[in-house]
Amino acid sequence: MTGLVGFLIFAVVSALIFGAVSIGWRSVLVILLDTLPVPVSIAGVEVSPIHEDILLQIRLPRVLLAAAVGSSLAVAGAVFQGLFRNPMADPYVIGISSGAALGAVFAMLSGFSLVLGGFGAVPLFAFGGGIITIITIMLVYSMARVGRAVPVMTLLLAGIAVSAFLSALVSLLTYFAGERLHMVVFWMMGGLGGATWHQVKVMVPYALVGYICVSVFSRDLNAMLLGEETASNLGVNTERVKKIMLAGSSLLVAAAVSTSGIIGFVGLVVPHFVRLVAGPDHRFLLPASALLGGTLLIATDTLARVIIAPSELPVGIITALLGAPMFLYLLKKRKKLRYFGGGG
Amino acid sequence: MGLNIEVHGLKLAYDAQPVLEDTNFSVERGDLVALLGANGAGKSTLLRCISRILKPNAGHIMLDGTELKHFDSKEAARKMAVVPQETTADFDFTVEDIVMMGRFPYLNRFQKEDQSDREIVQRSMEMTGVAHLARRSITALSGGEKQRVIMARAVCQQPEALLLDEPTANLDIGYQSMLLELAARLNREQEVTVIAAIHDINLAVHHFNRFILLSGGRVMSAGRAEEVITPDNIQKSYGVPATTYRHPLHGVLQVSVVREKTRVEGHTKRPVVHVIGGGEEALPVLELLIGRGCRLSVGPVSAQDSGCRFAHFHSLPVVIVPPFTSMNGVHKEEHLELMRKSDLVVVPPIPFGEGNLPIFEEVEAVLKEGKPVYLIDLAGVEKRDYSGHAPQLLKNLVQRGAVVLEKLEDLPGVVDRHGGSDNG
Repeated sequence: MTGLVGFLIFAVVSALIFGAVSIGWRSVLVILLDTLPVPVSIAGVEVSPIHEDILLQIRLPRVLLAAAVGSSLAVAGAVFQGLFRNPMADPYVIGISSGAALGAVFAMLSGFSLVLGGFGAVPLFAFGGGIITIITIMLVYSMARVGRAVPVMTLLLAGIAVSAFLSALVSLLTYFAGERLHMVVFWMMGGLGGATWHQVKVMVPYALVGYICVSVFSRDLNAMLLGEETASNLGVNTERVKKIMLAGSSLLVAAAVSTSGIIGFVGLVVPHFVRLVAGPDHRFLLPASALLGGTLLIATDTLARVIIAPSELPVGIITALLGAPMFLYLLKKRKKLRYFGGGG
Repeated sequence: MGLNIEVHGLKLAYDAQPVLEDTNFSVERGDLVALLGANGAGKSTLLRCISRILKPNAGHIMLDGTELKHFDSKEAARKMAVVPQETTADFDFTVEDIVMMGRFPYLNRFQKEDQSDREIVQRSMEMTGVAHLARRSITALSGGEKQRVIMARAVCQQPEALLLDEPTANLDIGYQSMLLELAARLNREQEVTVIAAIHDINLAVHHFNRFILLSGGRVMSAGRAEEVITPDNIQKSYGVPATTYRHPLHGVLQVSVVREKTRVEGHTKRPVVHVIGGGEEALPVLELLIGRGCRLSVGPVSAQDSGCRFAHFHSLPVVIVPPFTSMNGVHKEEHLELMRKSDLVVVPPIPFGEGNLPIFEEVEAVLKEGKPVYLIDLAGVEKRDYSGHAPQLLKNLVQRGAVVLEKLEDLPGVVDRHGGSDNG
């Protein structure tokens, strides 16, 4: 865990140094120290005010947002994989992303110039779409009750159906997008461009609330991995755990997607990474996934900014391009997938 | 320790298909109960109602006089632990992790497992013999090891009642006994109430002392083995004809499903065969012949003999002598009569003593009349002779024309050659 914290700090500092304009590490240090209420000075380093602006107003919020989004996606992925006992599950599996996309695309195409609490129409509608999807799934959830309980498999299938329906609506809107098609496609690929402090301030509390919700129930989720009946026999209130897990991780996903679009792969692969190395215990898995997810997204976002600077690539492309081969390597090195599907 | 479980008027239906219908029983503190019944009789459903997985449509379940629904998840888990037939172990938890989950109902949300929890885990693993596997991954264990780990977790839960749902269904015979003995030990040493749904009645009678037989969602019978496990009850609940007998070594009641009376096509073409004697030497002969559709007669056998039971079960003509008496000629005419009615006479490799030597006279008599007689396996005759005369008497029969068959497997050929006759 300490190692992961180290990685995260290293990623943050590197991300602050590199970019279209490179800022030396000494300058970075000075600028950061300057923001502290206590005056600390390092002699002999001249800091240009432009660098200071780039660092504090552009890079730092972007890095922090990347950390928050990466963590949220990774944690939500870990929870969905555990809850559904399915290695294919990712944060988008039950359609929250499709709902958010529908909201976002609708906002883009309708050309609303709504501004609320400092936000434009796109993130607002995306968040709204995500939340409406959660509510829809909760409704489906209560309709899917079999006797007293809802089997997670029913829940998963219901989520997939809702997701497919919303995706179809997104495609329908996209079909008529006309000259705004570029905007829609770019949003769907996901990216952290244009991150502001304001976004960080709004996104982080949602992410924290979501994270606390799910992590408090880590031990319950461990028991759920052995099957719902077993968990119930061990004293887990499975219905309550399912609802809270679903609500908490949905909040994480909705917050992430509305600020950064649909960034793939982080939420799918990071939890697997951690499980391969450290086992399935959610009391470790969730915080470790948060740290690694944040680190990974900061690192890939930095690459996305740097590779074709001053222009930038959608970060989702980088996460998949780098993450997939790394994951395959790890799979091969561990010879067999010891979790999910038995002895291998 | 020990939990009193009462079930009153339990009703449950899946999609309007009733599974439990007015189920009533009570299990006393410290009982060791086997729940018997055919597939679909409601055993698992009943256990899953008690373990709060299923909610019955009607009726009450009381734990120590308090209604089950008044217990919250953790309270119930401190009262009862469940060992299912099989546990999915897809995730890479260590054995120790799995057993530690048994402490879940004792820990509040922000509490960490402490030394006392670890000691309980260690003791539980030692008791079920999995302590040496503590660091191994659950996914790497065999079915038998896994089931003992699940048992350790149940022990770790420190329950007052243990519910087992077909816990041995996927285990080999060694692990089956071991697992049920563990449950019995918990019952003995800690007075834990045990209720186990079990398919294998013959296994159950070795380990349990109370039995509840479910049939069609109702309790058909409850009580000691002798009261519950009767051919009549088995026939009614499992729908197969069965006999009961005492285990030859342990003396416990055992059940055996008997083959339906064979109705072979062309029945009348099969010969009538008379088989001499009973006991475990004659039974394979009887079983083989009846399987080939022969009409049989049996005797002389003693009244408690297995051959006698066989004859009664299949309603065969049989010559019976009272136990511990010698064949003193009283039954001679009866015996001769049966042999004369048959197409052939078979002498299985039965033991001989002073008591049954008169058989030779009778067999010789029908042999003289031209009745075909077959003697099976004379090779070891000295070993089964307690009279000192049998080898010589058998030799005499051979000289008179009796045919020796080296092994039982030669008999079907002989029977087929004889075909049927009009008599009998």
